[in-house]
Amino acid sequence: MERTDLELVQQCQAGEMSAFQELVSRYHQKVYMVILGLLRNREDALEVAQETFFRAYRKINGFQGGSSFYTWLYRIAVNLSIDTQRRQKRNPLDFRETMDGVFESQNEVARDPFADVHDKELREKLNRAINELTPEHKAVIVLRTIEGLSYKDIGEILGCSEGTVMSRLHYARKKLQDKLSAFL
Amino acid sequence: MKLLKKPPLRVLLFSLLSLLVATAAGIAQKQPQNVQVRIGAILASNQNDDFDSRLKPLEKQLRVLKYRSYRLLKDESQDVPWKGNKVFQIPGGRSLMVAPQEFQDNRIGLKVRLTEGQKPLLDTTVRISNKGNFILGGPPQEGGVLVLSISATAQ
Amino acid sequence: MNGCENRIEAIERWLDGELSGAEAESLRVHVTACAECAETQRRLEKIQRTLQGALRAEAQQLEFQRFWRAVQIRINEKRPWHREALERLRSAFPASRAAWAVPAVIALLLAAISLESYLPFWRGAGRNSFATVESIDAYGRNVALLREYDTKTTVIWLYQDQEGENEAAEETAPSGPAF
Repeated sequence: MERTDLELVQQCQAGEMSAFQELVSRYHQKVYMVILGLLRNREDALEVAQETFFRAYRKINGFQGGSSFYTWLYRIAVNLSIDTQRRQKRNPLDFRETMDGVFESQNEVARDPFADVHDKELREKLNRAINELTPEHKAVIVLRTIEGLSYKDIGEILGCSEGTVMSRLHYARKKLQDKLSAFL
Repeated sequence: MKLLKKPPLRVLLFSLLSLLVATAAGIAQKQPQNVQVRIGAILASNQNDDFDSRLKPLEKQLRVLKYRSYRLLKDESQDVPWKGNKVFQIPGGRSLMVAPQEFQDNRIGLKVRLTEGQKPLLDTTVRISNKGNFILGGPPQEGGVLVLSISATAQ
Repeated sequence: MNGCENRIEAIERWLDGELSGAEAESLRVHVTACAECAETQRRLEKIQRTLQGALRAEAQQLEFQRFWRAVQIRINEKRPWHREALERLRSAFPASRAAWAVPAVIALLLAAISLESYLPFWRGAGRNSFATVESIDAYGRNVALLREYDTKTTVIWLYQDQEGENEAAEETAPSGPAF
């Protein structure tokens, strides 16, 4: 029977590295998705994702189960991403917007070549539009892409109420629709 | 999300408060004429395991920093008058202004400002023993970090 | 507009799975019959699908064993002391309190160090040789101060972050001329 997150955390706290490995296995892709959505750069996202799990390992003994493990983990990831974004803002020449490549690589077989071109434009415009959101609005949009994250979960991760999550999502989606109306 | 607020004003207030507390206890002694200030600019990195033999006297202090390699970039001494100041050019487009403030109980009070171009990075006031030193480090340099050894001798 | 503007948020909550069963069913029936709301649903789903698809495609290329090895290397790697100190301080204080907590800590430590000036019995031969940091201003950057007793080293360490976190400084005893 599959162990729950809390069981794995308790085993990790007891010194079982294999339990932590299992947790990493469960969440590494989703954590990477969140960070990539915030940072828009593969190399930085990979670095921050690895650092996220490192920090989680270091702090695991302090996890008491008051929140769910995954909200605790995503909180570490989002905070690290915010720190990285701030450093990048101070060094704008280092900031590499490689999410264009990310969106281009999503290359399913297109039945309609015109649809493919149209979708590609949408992805590029979406990338740009998301990047123009404030960090708070970008964070809710990106976290909402992770399946299984409720408004309550997102609120716990970001340290705000469900109502705030709802209103930020609404605002961000309105902004995105306004910018992307020709492509939707 | 509650983003961290930047409290430079709070830091400044606490720094000023600390300065008031610290300087209230000081009484100036008879001042030597000059202070010889010596600055060693060192590159600390993990790029290799080389230790510059010229840094031997500082080795134990530098090993505290837990970098794998240390290389001396620049070594400079200047005589600085009391209540005056001198500026040392530091690698990486930086400069270090050192101003001796007082001499008491065989200890030298130094005011130090590290600047990058026109931008101040750090102001600090330190009291060190005569012929003693302290370490100031952290700014990025050539794939590692810049470490400064700042020492002073009353003359 | 036929009054469906005020349904947009409800549609968003419905698509996000945040409506109760009855509310969700009621809205679903409406959207099926309302062209405007159906268009809103289509646009929202398209944005969600596009972003989710792009991020998921990237994440699926992440090879777990390699990722895990990199995490293990970080866990086993010994970090420079100042990074350890900063990380411990960050985890000890929530972000909302760090801005006050860190200057408070540095003030307390500087006050403790300044006690040397007031209390004669603190002035042992060893203590007198430590450098005293009387004030510090890092212009909003993180700064760490450390006293290392074995080598009697005082280190002031300046980070590039501008988060206003300040740690206490320790002081070095002079070990003779610098070089």
